[in-house]
Amino acid sequence: MYLADFHIHSNFSDGKYSIPALVDYFGRREFGAIAITDHFCEETSLIGKASSYLGVSLTRATFPIYKEILKSEQERAWQQYGMCLIPGVEITKNSILNHRSAHFLVLGDLDAIDPNKDISEMSDLARTNGGLVIAAHPVSTQKLEKQTFHLWDRREELASKVDAWEVASGPYLFEEVKSSGLPMIANSDFHSTKNMTSWKTALSCERRQDAIFDSIRKQKLDFHFYREVAICELSRPVMPHHLGGQLANRWMGNLVGF
Amino acid sequence: MVNWLIVGWGTWSVSRHFSSPTSQIPDAQLPAVSILKPLKGVDEGLADNLESFFKIDYPSFEIIFSVSNPQEPALEVLVPLLKKYPNVNTHLLYSSKSVGPNPKINNLLCAYEKAESDLVLISDSNIRVEPAYLRRLIPDLKSSIGIITAVVAGTEPSGLGGYLEASYLNTFFARWMFITRDLGFESVVGKSMLFRKSTADRFGGLKTLGCYIAEDYMAGHAMKKLDLKVDLMRSPIRQYLGNYSFRSFWNRHLRWGRIRKAIAPMAFLIEPFFLTTVSGALGAFALNQITGLSVFIFWFVHLLVWCLSDIYLNHLVDRFSWKSVGAWWLREFLAFPLWLGILGGNKVHWRGKNYQLLKGGLVQGV
Repeated sequence: MYLADFHIHSNFSDGKYSIPALVDYFGRREFGAIAITDHFCEETSLIGKASSYLGVSLTRATFPIYKEILKSEQERAWQQYGMCLIPGVEITKNSILNHRSAHFLVLGDLDAIDPNKDISEMSDLARTNGGLVIAAHPVSTQKLEKQTFHLWDRREELASKVDAWEVASGPYLFEEVKSSGLPMIANSDFHSTKNMTSWKTALSCERRQDAIFDSIRKQKLDFHFYREVAICELSRPVMPHHLGGQLANRWMGNLVGF
Repeated sequence: MVNWLIVGWGTWSVSRHFSSPTSQIPDAQLPAVSILKPLKGVDEGLADNLESFFKIDYPSFEIIFSVSNPQEPALEVLVPLLKKYPNVNTHLLYSSKSVGPNPKINNLLCAYEKAESDLVLISDSNIRVEPAYLRRLIPDLKSSIGIITAVVAGTEPSGLGGYLEASYLNTFFARWMFITRDLGFESVVGKSMLFRKSTADRFGGLKTLGCYIAEDYMAGHAMKKLDLKVDLMRSPIRQYLGNYSFRSFWNRHLRWGRIRKAIAPMAFLIEPFFLTTVSGALGAFALNQITGLSVFIFWFVHLLVWCLSDIYLNHLVDRFSWKSVGAWWLREFLAFPLWLGILGGNKVHWRGKNYQLLKGGLVQGV
C-alpha cells in the first residue's frame, strides 16, 4: 500500500515550487503516486483573465512547456523514486459568487484540455481519452478562502460525469461529501509545504496510471491523515492505524486512519 | 528617485560583471561545443561575421550552419569560407521541417538534432566574435545555470537608424538586461544562447519553442521552471550594425515592443514611467508642486545626469563617440512615441512575413 496525492500545484500557477522540486519532495517521502494539477483558468471571465496576467494560472502559451516538463519528470519520478507522476490540470472557473465557481481536476491525457468548455463537455472529452475527472473542494473548505460550490449544487446532474469528489482537500474532512454516497478521494491541494499535513488517499494497486484510475473509479482506496513531521522527528514516526506498521519503517509522517 | 536608483544599479551591475575575471579551465577539461548558426538573407558584414567563428580558438567545437531554403543567398557568402577553412569542423544542413510559425526554430531543428555535443550555442549570423569567445563563455555554465546569454553591443553603426540602434543596445538594453538578471527574470537574447541539450530536452527541446515568436524568452522561462537560472556572459558580444535606416530601427522596435507587450502586458503598461523623458517630466511636476522649482530646470538636469551615466555605460559596453550622444538624445525623445506605436497594434513583420501576436507570446502567420 502506498500514499497518493492528486491535487498539487507548481509554480506554473500559484504553487511555490517547481515541478522537479515537487517530484523530489514527494519522492523522498516515498509517495507512490502524485498528480500535478496547476490552475488553468477559464479565459472568458474577468477573474480568469486577471489570473493569467498575474501569472497564477496556466495559459495557452505556457501549457506546451508545462506538458513537456511533466512528461520528462514522469520518467525521472519513476526511475529515481518508483513514483507514478500523473499529469493534470485544475480547470478553474471563478466567479465573484461562490455558487457560480467551480474547480475540477482533469488527470491523464492533457491534449484535449480547454478551460472554456463546460464541465460536462470537458469531462466527456477527458474520459473518452482515458482521463479521470475529480471535483475539487466542492463544499466549504472551512478556510478563509474562495469557495467553489457550483459542482456540488449540480451534483445529481454531474454524478455520471465526475469520477470522484474530494472528501478532503487539506486537513478537514467534508462531512457532506462523506455522507453523500458519491465516490470520494482525499487530497491536500498542495501549494507549499504548509499544506502537506492533510488527508491523503492510500492505494494498493500497481503504480501505473491506468491501474490507479481504475482503483479510484472502483473506489478501492482508503484515506489517511498524513502529518508532516520535522526532519529531526522523522526517526520516530507514530503510526496508530493499520498502515502504520507497514509505513513506519519507510520514514513517512504520522498517519491516522479515516 | 527610483529611476536614478535604477540607472545607478544598472551601470554598477554592468561594470562589476564585465570587470570580473573569467574562470580558467585547462584545455583538456574544456567540453566540446556545437555552434548552431541559422542563415537567412545577406546582412551587411555577413562574411566577416561568419569568418570570426572560423577563427575561434577552442579545442573542440563544430559549427552547424542551417538554411531553410536550398537557394539561400547567404550560401554565396558561406561556401567560400568553408573552402578557406577546411580544418574547421563544419556542417551545412538544409531544414525543411516545420513545427510552428517561428521560422528560426524551423530552420534550426535539423542542426539541433545533428549537434554532437551536449553544449549547444545558438548564435545569430549578425554576431561577430573574438577568437577567445568560447573560452570566456563556457566556464561560466555551472550546473545551476540553464542558459548563458549575452549583452549585445551595437558596433560600427552608420546611418541614423544605426546610431539609434547602437544607442539603444549600448545603454538602455544593457542596463535592463542586467537589472532583470539581478531580479531573477528570464531575459534571454536569441542572438547568443548557450545551454545543455540534455537540459533543453527536459522541456521538449527546440521543437517546443516553435509556436512562440520570442523563442529566446520562452527558453529562459522554461529553464526557470526547471529551477535553473539565466546568466550573462562576462563581456558583450558584437552585433555589426552597418548602414541601418531609420525605418528599419523603428520597425524593429515596434516588433520587439509588441512581442514584449504580448508576453508581459502589465510590465509593458508601466514602461513609460521608466523612460527618461516621462519619468523626468513627472518628477519635475511633482517637485514643482512641492518646492516651486522650475519644471524645465529639473527636467534638464534629470536628462543631463541620465545622459552622463549612459555615456559611462556606453563606454563599458562599446566605444564612445559624440555621434552616439546625439543619437541618445533623439532616441530618448522617440521612446514615448514608439511606446504609443507599440500600443496601437498586435501585428509584426519579420523576415518578410507578417505575424499576428497572441496572448503570452504565441504567434500565428497572417
